[in-house]
Amino acid sequence: MKEVLAYPANYWQTMYEIWLFIAVVIYLVVFIPGAYFLVKYRYKKGANEKAQHVHESKALEVLWTIIPTIVVIYLATQSFAFYRVQRTAPEGAMEIKVTAFMWGWEFEYPNGKKVFSFFNSVVNPETNAYLKPEEVNDMFKAYIPAGTPIKVLLTSRDVIHSFYVHPAKVTEDAVPGRITHMWFQINQPGEYWIFCREYCGTQHSKMAAVLKVVPKDQFEKWLKEGMQTSNFSDKQNL
Amino acid sequence: MAAVSYRPYFSAGLKEWIFTTDHKKIGIMYGVTSLVFFLIAGLSALAIRMELFQPGLQYMSEDTYNQALTVHGVLMQFWWAVAIWSSFGNYLLPLMIGARDVAFPRLNALSYWFFFAASVLALITLLPGNHIRMMWTGYPPFSLNDNAGPVAFYALIIHLLGASSLASAINLVVTNLTMRAPGITLKKMNLFLHSFLAMNVIQILGVPALAGAVTMLLMDKYFHTAFFDPTRGGDPLLYQNLFWFYSHPVVYVMILPAFGLISEMIATFSRREIFGRTSMIIAIWGIAILGFMVWIHHMFTSGVPDWIRIIFSYTTVLIGVPTGIKIFNWIFTLYKGSVRFTTPMLYTLSAIFMFLIGGLTGIPLGLPAFDIAVHDSHFVVAHFHYVLGMALTLAAFGGFHYWYPKYTGRMYSEFWAKIALVLIMIGSNLFYFLQFIVGLEGMPRRYADYPAIESWIRLHELQTIGAMILGFGVFIALANLILSTKFGKKAEDNPWQSPSLEWLVPSPPPPHNFDKTPHMPEDWDPYNYEWLEKQHKKQ
Repeated sequence: MKEVLAYPANYWQTMYEIWLFIAVVIYLVVFIPGAYFLVKYRYKKGANEKAQHVHESKALEVLWTIIPTIVVIYLATQSFAFYRVQRTAPEGAMEIKVTAFMWGWEFEYPNGKKVFSFFNSVVNPETNAYLKPEEVNDMFKAYIPAGTPIKVLLTSRDVIHSFYVHPAKVTEDAVPGRITHMWFQINQPGEYWIFCREYCGTQHSKMAAVLKVVPKDQFEKWLKEGMQTSNFSDKQNL
Repeated sequence: MAAVSYRPYFSAGLKEWIFTTDHKKIGIMYGVTSLVFFLIAGLSALAIRMELFQPGLQYMSEDTYNQALTVHGVLMQFWWAVAIWSSFGNYLLPLMIGARDVAFPRLNALSYWFFFAASVLALITLLPGNHIRMMWTGYPPFSLNDNAGPVAFYALIIHLLGASSLASAINLVVTNLTMRAPGITLKKMNLFLHSFLAMNVIQILGVPALAGAVTMLLMDKYFHTAFFDPTRGGDPLLYQNLFWFYSHPVVYVMILPAFGLISEMIATFSRREIFGRTSMIIAIWGIAILGFMVWIHHMFTSGVPDWIRIIFSYTTVLIGVPTGIKIFNWIFTLYKGSVRFTTPMLYTLSAIFMFLIGGLTGIPLGLPAFDIAVHDSHFVVAHFHYVLGMALTLAAFGGFHYWYPKYTGRMYSEFWAKIALVLIMIGSNLFYFLQFIVGLEGMPRRYADYPAIESWIRLHELQTIGAMILGFGVFIALANLILSTKFGKKAEDNPWQSPSLEWLVPSPPPPHNFDKTPHMPEDWDPYNYEWLEKQHKKQ
């Protein structure tokens, strides 16, 4: 099997391709006869001045009720099959607890290590515009090992936020008073964006974090490095 | 139909407009108010587009951006997409069924003045210090936060609007069901009337859920109840359920009347009855009923149980079936017709073209496997702008042109109307199609700023150019309509040769519509174009 950049994005990609194919076919099935009728039956002085009457055709109407029904039921069922995989974290996934707040993310690793990413850690203080991921200070980045499934347990400290892992193409809301979950896996080391996707106030569009995907051994080393939380725990009340 | 002495319609004094109970004047007042708000919402859209032209914040602060987005969303949905149909419904419904007015004319006036009061309050939220920044959805716990703006004010506006639309909906349903002239059976009713009937029934069933949701929000914020506040045992998802139980069906309140208008225009300009009229009526009601069974698809990533997401994905995609039936029937209405390419017909065809793209991109949003990647992204925004932004607006604008001679007694300029439509179509497709792509690439919605990702920047630049062209097209279309009230050629009573009842009265219609209750003969039908020719020959 060819190495994909991220799970479960590959299932999304397949669902997308199936839908796109069907949508283009449906579009043509409607557009081509529509355009043909428009040209063929256009009114001109002295030609085709009168409409002929075809009120209905039971056969046609049944046809364009049944075929679309089959198509959409197929799509929903295909989605059902993919969705089970997209929602169910593989056995042995590493659990990270993510707590969202206005406006940032707290990542807590299995050994208790915490990383905080605030909205002002991803923007340039002078221009107030987004930094590039590689310009963000490493201590605000959430590290994860490449090629390892990550199960995220989500909640929120104040309002509803939504956790979106850009390359993995998966979103789930962080709801105060609830714990929701999602999983993903990124196979290629690199730096990727996490965005907030539920409107959460002034800095909603800056509520991002950088996900630093590193090889497993490097991650293990990072995880054991001193707990950074003590330096920043007072910042969570910002 | 005998003509009565013609009185110039627009010469009525201010007092007459304020105290009128005439459904035609009320319809026009709804239309004018709605259009004013359409323009305000459109200008805030252009402001939003300017800000997104480049990454970084150039023209406004994030708070201003959030307010602009809230204003755009609220006004476009409630003052344009819902309220514009009150204009068409009030003006045309009694004319189409052969009634002198609606069933409760004074209640009708009250409905408008409630709407007007809500409009004034909505304008007050634009003043500094009253900014509402919680988006049109107003999800708690955010809306319980001081950051959200004056929520009590928002709730009051929604209540006024709700009272207005409930009263109006009940009024129009009663009128439609009890005041049809002899000979206009339910089967012979215009498809316009069927779609307005279904839409008003949705309002009657749905509005109370929204009213309940905002009342509970108000109580939570100011009276210390805890329906939605999780810190005191409430559940924010309860609000989402109540909110979408109304706010999903309301999209059919917006689009069903557009279907009605499309059906009227495509029949008239193909000179033949809508293909499969019975299945069209069944499809309308199918959409109305299924519309109440799909609201969870707005909550596919909200944390509701997975099995609920799956069940609602099936009901959601099933809506594609009745909508598909409607599209196929429209296309086959052209078959063996005698198609005239007038401006309203071109608007109609454009509306179907846009609706098809909007519909086909709505199906994957009903599939959780697809939705989790694009939920709350620009893909969703593009989808509903194709459907509600464009298909609806094109149908409404088509309707403005179609009934223009009836409303004003004059014709608009065909040339400028067509130029406007071309600009609207180029601009909107450049804008919204690229919005799909930036959404597929992951751009979240409701973002004042975004990271400098190369492809996103290019896509946003082109979208903004598209939005400008679109805005310019809308400007020309409206300028044409406004100027033509003065400079347009005088119109015939029935320029499109339609046997539908509203065309059989003079243009503009006399104050009492009909001299005596019309009795429609056996062979009459709103789409029987031969009947009209026979009448002409008899004269």
